[in-house]
Amino acid sequence: MLSPDMTMAETVVEKTKIEVKNLNFYYGQSKALKDISLSLPERSVTAFIGPSGCGKSTLLRVFNRIYELYPKQTAEGQVLLDGKNILDRSQDLNLLRTKIGMVFQKPTPFPMSIYENIAFGVRLYENLGKSEMDGRVEQALKRAALWSEVKDKLNASGLSLSGGQQQRLCIARTVAVKPEVILLDEPASALDPLSTAKIEELIDELQADYTIVIVTHNMQQAARVSRQTAFMYLGELVEFDRTEKIFTSPREKRTQDYITGRFG
Amino acid sequence: MGEHTVASFDEDLEQISKLIRDMADLAGSMVGGATKALLNSDNVLAQRVVSDDAIMDARQRELDDRAITLIAKRQPMAHDLRHVVGAIRMAGDLERIGDLAKNIAKRVSAVGLSATPRDLSHSIDAMAQLVLIQVQGVIEEYAAGDAAALAKLRAADERIDVKYTSVFRELLTYMMEDPRNITACTHLLFCAKNLERIGDHVTNIAENAYYVLTGEQLPVNRPKQDETTMSAPVT
Repeated sequence: MLSPDMTMAETVVEKTKIEVKNLNFYYGQSKALKDISLSLPERSVTAFIGPSGCGKSTLLRVFNRIYELYPKQTAEGQVLLDGKNILDRSQDLNLLRTKIGMVFQKPTPFPMSIYENIAFGVRLYENLGKSEMDGRVEQALKRAALWSEVKDKLNASGLSLSGGQQQRLCIARTVAVKPEVILLDEPASALDPLSTAKIEELIDELQADYTIVIVTHNMQQAARVSRQTAFMYLGELVEFDRTEKIFTSPREKRTQDYITGRFG
Repeated sequence: MGEHTVASFDEDLEQISKLIRDMADLAGSMVGGATKALLNSDNVLAQRVVSDDAIMDARQRELDDRAITLIAKRQPMAHDLRHVVGAIRMAGDLERIGDLAKNIAKRVSAVGLSATPRDLSHSIDAMAQLVLIQVQGVIEEYAAGDAAALAKLRAADERIDVKYTSVFRELLTYMMEDPRNITACTHLLFCAKNLERIGDHVTNIAENAYYVLTGEQLPVNRPKQDETTMSAPVT
């Protein structure tokens, strides 16, 4: 039952893609995330901001359990992807990582051709014929706004591309395996302004189909690309709100101090 | 509000604040001077108010330049952003207050001494005092960071509107009594209207200042403006 004073607008609830519930994270003994709870709506961009060491990248890394590659890193609590806890032991990690793709700060193309950079990941999960694979590669490169620049040199090494192109290649590689969520860890921090603008334009287009989470040190970038922003500090989620609210009149003094450049 | 890690950012913001305070001081002195000149037929003082307007315009241009440069250089966020954008808008209102004061001053010689009956002078003086208190108060409250006082100050504009309505009726009476009063009374009517509009600009400033301080907009229901439009067509 709705309470009588509730308007229709308030009853329209967006679908939650990822829900974090009471998440704690440890690097050995040290607690890096403290009781984090937040909901990320589907098909929208969420930005994580905060000073170095605040836990934003750690939180991102929990979403695809990439932290398990390292010893002594443990997560407690729940991270629900479409209502299913991905921290559960029974979660198939390969399946999880096809659903949740990740792009890192430094472009990480494989030392192989542009074509193979994309086809490699697809082959792990799908058995496509030559023409289907060609189609998938083209589609992914187009999606990442790279196709027109590389279509005549698909056999050239991925490493021969510029930094900005390499990063878009990594995004194409992520998109090619048809994920549902894309995690971007400082995707443009090593790029020049023009390449950054291309990545931001891409993020804007991709949110029509994907749930995107971006970690960035660039506050203007967070303000430009995201719909909601989480400010983290010392492993805590200090404030999570609509991006306009965070950057024009945040509730918390710590948020205000950080985004206006007044932090200690 | 603590200090920025980059100290020159604080200096840039302070310069903008200082310009707003200067413009507010100047606006107060222009409004005070213009009404004093009007009531005493002081053409010299009126002339000074007219020339002060050029200073006001120059200050506004300087503030605009500084604010635009600050936005380009610092990309201010949150309170800083509201502070800078608010300053641009407040400067616009202060500049308009200067124009309106100048307009009053320019009418001083046309009104002349003889045509202003004592009672009427008294009414206009009382209205001008109300306006002056508002003009001087608004930036003081803003500088003091007192949002509640700004909300109160905005509401106080209604007293000016009420006063204007009564001045308007008095002027009509004088004009009906003796058509020879019409020229002077028409000028006085414009002067009173200018004072009423200055009050409205102060209201805008108070609303802006409130938003800068709190991040919230004051509710829209403002005190009603000029009620004379209900009784007769004026301008």
